Amino acid sequence: MSVAVREPGAVIESEPIRSRRGIVWETIRRRPSAAIGSAILLVIVLGALLAPWLAPYDLHKQVGPVFGHPSWSHPLGLDDGGIDMVTLLMWGARVSLVVGFAATFVSMVIGGTIGVAAGYFGGKTDTTLMRITDYFLVIPDVPLMIVVAAIWGPSLFHIIIVIGILLWTSTARVIRAQVKSVRERVYVKRARSLGASHTRIVFRHVLPQVAPLLIANTVLTIAVAIFDETALAFLGLGDPSRISLGKMIENAFQRAAISTGAWYAIVPPGLLVAVIILSCSLVGGALEDALNPRLRVAHLSARSFRLRPLVGRGGEAV
Amino acid sequence: MSLLEIQDLHVWFDLEHGGELHAVQGVSLSVDPGERLGLVGESGCGKTTTALAAMGLLPPNASAAGRIMLDGEDILAGGEETIRPHRWVDLAIVFQGAMNALNPVRTVGSQIVEAIELHGRAKGPAARTQTGELLESVGIPAKRAERFPHELSGGMRQRAAIAMALSCNPKVLIADEPTTALDVMVQAQILELLDALCRDFGLALILVTHDLPVVAQLCDLGAVMYAGEIVERATVDALYHSPGHPYTRLLFAATPDLGSNGEVVSIPGAPPRLDHELRGCPFQPRCDRAFGPCTTIHPLLKSIGAGHAAACHLNDLPAIAAP
Amino acid sequence: MRGADYVIKRIAFALLTVFIAVTINFALFRLAPGTAVTNLARVPHATPETRLALKREFGLDKSKLDQYFIYLKQLSRGNLGISFENSQPVRDNLKTALINTIPMVLLGTLFAIVIGTITGVLAAWRRGTAAEGASVTTALAFYSMPTHWLGLMLVILFAGTLPTGGMTNDFLINPSFWQHFKDLVAHITLPALTLGLVLFGEYTLIVRSAMLETLSEDYILTARAKGLRPAAILRMHALRNAMLPIATLIALSLGYIVAGAILVETVFSWPGIGRAVYDAVLARDYPMLQGAFLVLTVSVVFFNLVADLLYFKLDPRITE
Repeated sequence: MSVAVREPGAVIESEPIRSRRGIVWETIRRRPSAAIGSAILLVIVLGALLAPWLAPYDLHKQVGPVFGHPSWSHPLGLDDGGIDMVTLLMWGARVSLVVGFAATFVSMVIGGTIGVAAGYFGGKTDTTLMRITDYFLVIPDVPLMIVVAAIWGPSLFHIIIVIGILLWTSTARVIRAQVKSVRERVYVKRARSLGASHTRIVFRHVLPQVAPLLIANTVLTIAVAIFDETALAFLGLGDPSRISLGKMIENAFQRAAISTGAWYAIVPPGLLVAVIILSCSLVGGALEDALNPRLRVAHLSARSFRLRPLVGRGGEAV
Repeated sequence: MSLLEIQDLHVWFDLEHGGELHAVQGVSLSVDPGERLGLVGESGCGKTTTALAAMGLLPPNASAAGRIMLDGEDILAGGEETIRPHRWVDLAIVFQGAMNALNPVRTVGSQIVEAIELHGRAKGPAARTQTGELLESVGIPAKRAERFPHELSGGMRQRAAIAMALSCNPKVLIADEPTTALDVMVQAQILELLDALCRDFGLALILVTHDLPVVAQLCDLGAVMYAGEIVERATVDALYHSPGHPYTRLLFAATPDLGSNGEVVSIPGAPPRLDHELRGCPFQPRCDRAFGPCTTIHPLLKSIGAGHAAACHLNDLPAIAAP
Repeated sequence: MRGADYVIKRIAFALLTVFIAVTINFALFRLAPGTAVTNLARVPHATPETRLALKREFGLDKSKLDQYFIYLKQLSRGNLGISFENSQPVRDNLKTALINTIPMVLLGTLFAIVIGTITGVLAAWRRGTAAEGASVTTALAFYSMPTHWLGLMLVILFAGTLPTGGMTNDFLINPSFWQHFKDLVAHITLPALTLGLVLFGEYTLIVRSAMLETLSEDYILTARAKGLRPAAILRMHALRNAMLPIATLIALSLGYIVAGAILVETVFSWPGIGRAVYDAVLARDYPMLQGAFLVLTVSVVFFNLVADLLYFKLDPRITE
């Protein structure tokens, strides 16, 4: 996977700024890209959560022939086991989202801790932690995930841990930068001089300022985590006992869905993954933009300034 | 007919979430060859925008109205297309030296050569020779042309920018905060340089700054801007000693004059927001002499003496009540 | 040479990272529980002599620490063991695989860089117009598509027109050079296109971001004030400066592409290093897996180093 996805943070590093309260909600409300992304994600998450109640058919019951064609009763056809695709999509999304969220949680905890520690304590701690981060950054994630999954054996838990262990680097860096700037703020210095403990300062002063950026970064990490799950499942390293969106693609691929013309077994799961990743990118990107606004105006653009006719305002008498 | 006449210039900026900022509101200025005009005011008063507008250097979210007469021709009339041919050959600008005004990945010399070749003054080796001469004339050894901007000190960078601005013999030089962010010694050198160059080449100079002593040293005429308008226009001498507007008076009093023992007086309050229309005088909330008409009637720029104009209702009162 | 010590420092860092990667590689494969993974000598269909030789070469009966040093020594000689799958030296398998992967990845990357730069510059230049919105949306869309899924989509779309599997047509008997070449080109198109499309999305966003940043710099205003036309400003000032972050980011991403190639090669059965990883996983061919992983890690380190040095060379401001 490529750099910008490995580093969901800023592609071009810019100065981190003060985060206002409620900026997350405000951004979602005001920016169309964030609003659309959030809405889509909400729908998908709800659909996945309510799968046991909303799914039209039973997950394990064959209701027709292998790769049955789409019909009114099965709008997306049937998979290689004769199971309804819509049902599979809902259940598959459940597993994929669980892996995505859980892995991101792991990475957020690791990355957040390291970022805060490096940014807050600075000095030797900072240098050492950043060195470690640099080394982790250089390891190509997908191959490592493959290797570890191959050695450890595929299970949901292993997958989550493996993905989480490799995604924390960008979180750590972004958080560290923000913590560094927050640390220099007046009220933090005042709290220190009043004798507040490090823990208190971190939790009461630093974290609230860092939270919005962490949320932005988390959303973007979820996108990567879900992608990684699909990749691993496709390579046969997913949990064989559970059906995820990635596994659906892999099953279809293995059972020659394409040559039998069963495109509906492949397109929907991948499309759903793409939509989830896109929505996460929109929301995360909009949040990052809101927190690091591009304050400067482009000096060059295809459009140029406009002219207006002179409106008399009763000139001057000189 | 003056060399450069800005007539009733208005500039609006589109705001991100709708609405407009009326940054420049009916500004009129003129300079003749050899004249030095200082355009002063607090940050955000619209002086830089006015200077940029004179050269058509407005961003795409801006709209403008008014006339910019250069030798009798309205160069603003056709927008970007009519203004561009006049850039650098008639009107040149020098920005604040501390900014990234020079491209950091190209040598200083190549950027001056670019200007020379673009306007057909010379090509190749001849252009490089001219560049060397230009640098020498501003006090930079010609060899420095091969250096990158970050290898020069702030003062030298500013001199190089001035050399570049003069490379095509413009008639008007606009200097936007040319000495801000430079230390005092270097400031003095730059000002001397500008003084000498203007004298030697008969340039008209428009000096945009919030630093009044600079204006006092270099300019003959001054225009004071507040909230997008010109509130007073006079000789620098008159602005200092017989201001016709409370803002001018307070502004010049806020500057410590190294000679006297006056206290530093800063003007309390802040300039008005320009995203909606104002009633009355824009300075009224901060004015120490505001009265009746100030809250409702917008004062117009009127002549109050020979070559002296001000926009203040106080000037309409009988002579006893001096502002 | 300017900043020779900077270059040396970066190379030293790269070497150190390779060393750490090698160590992690060893730890992963030789410290795993049980002998299924660790026993390099367990080559199926190998003769007892081969097995014994392997045992001795890699010191499989010695302590783990000894094995580590032996591993390093063998590595320096290029000995990566014998593949479980085809009983060939891992090194030879990897070499063939790498030679197959490189043209495909190169083609895809070139496509992505060219199209991505054009689209990115367009989006930045036409900021705030429909063209920008369309470019960004398209880029995001392709960037969001799982690589292997996109490959499968292309297979569905082009199944009849272009070959969708393998590197060559096995049914071509004694092809002439030209036929062989055409055959290769036909086969390389879809996998390279898949890789290219996913990368193009990312590169467009990178280029647009870099250009927007550059276009808001003051020297662009100066260039405009000098009377330069927009096209000239773009060429002589904007692009030249934006090239810095763009070149380095692209160089960085190259390291990861080799990993992304795994998915593409699996979909299209392209016999490259990505596919080698996949096959090795399937067949539990641990020596191959270990070797392939090492190659991939080293390539990332290498491209990171290239990115570092490139940035250093392009930006005259860095003198440290």
